[in-house]
Amino acid sequence: MSNSSNLQQKLQTEIVELTKSINDIISNFKQLKNPIQESQVKVPMATNQLDKISEQTEAATNHMLDLIENISIREEEVIKGLNEIKELLPKDNEKINNLINGVIEKTNVNVNDAFTIMNALQFQDITAQQMNHAAALLEEIETKLTQICQVFGIDSETPEEEPRDKKERVYDPHADLYEKKTEQQVVDSMFDQGKK
Amino acid sequence: MGDFKILAVDDSPTMRRIIINTLKRAGYQDVIEAQDGKDALAKLKVEKVNFVITDWNMPEMDGLTFVATLRSMEEYKNLPVLMVTTRSVKEDIMEAMKAGVNNYIVKPFTPDTLKAKIEQILAS
Repeated sequence: MSNSSNLQQKLQTEIVELTKSINDIISNFKQLKNPIQESQVKVPMATNQLDKISEQTEAATNHMLDLIENISIREEEVIKGLNEIKELLPKDNEKINNLINGVIEKTNVNVNDAFTIMNALQFQDITAQQMNHAAALLEEIETKLTQICQVFGIDSETPEEEPRDKKERVYDPHADLYEKKTEQQVVDSMFDQGKK
Repeated sequence: MGDFKILAVDDSPTMRRIIINTLKRAGYQDVIEAQDGKDALAKLKVEKVNFVITDWNMPEMDGLTFVATLRSMEEYKNLPVLMVTTRSVKEDIMEAMKAGVNNYIVKPFTPDTLKAKIEQILAS
């Protein structure tokens, strides 16, 4: 066999292999098409769910704040009223005075506890930032999926005529309720050093 | 506390309410609020404010830009600013110092810390 027919045969084999490989790739992409399209629908759904959790937690937290503020106002009115009653009662009636003082003390504890609960509600701001961070990551994935679809000619499942309004997301990527990168004491010493 | 007015800037309505309640309990009755730096600058144009408490991460104008803007304006060059934020990375704190904040609190804060920092800034 001549050199040229050898080369021709080799080329033929290579082309057959190449065609087979391309067919395999196409077949693999066809298999990927459905999961990608499905992800394109599910990723925005997950983002919406996170936003919904954030909104509903904020609404619930604000409702709790309303209740706490009202409790505090009422308790302070109770204290004021009891002090007025004390003024009207004979000063020498130790038993009644002690009873009233006891109620005032307990009411003050209630006011302080309500204030402590209110402060604990700061968690909402931190978890909202964490959820915004997660939603931003999901939106990034969504954008990349769209790019993959465009490159490989996969029909997008997201209706083009209704583009979603993407929220402006502001968050601290390190926001954490318990694990702070720097403790307040270290912050204080940084400021003390800065002043020197 | 007479005519002493505090401006609380935070995009979270929950945080604004917590800060305002904490300030009122600490004796600072006159508190106004803004939802971001841009809103805060607009409030400052119409209200005389003695002290600013600001968050960092906010839409429209973040706390850092807000503080830097304040420091570039003659009338607010010395206005006391306390930053209250979740940002606790050292580099961020350094950046806030450079922008011109007078002090810095990492969220979640305690009412005692907030009160102490205000007093500390006012005393210095």
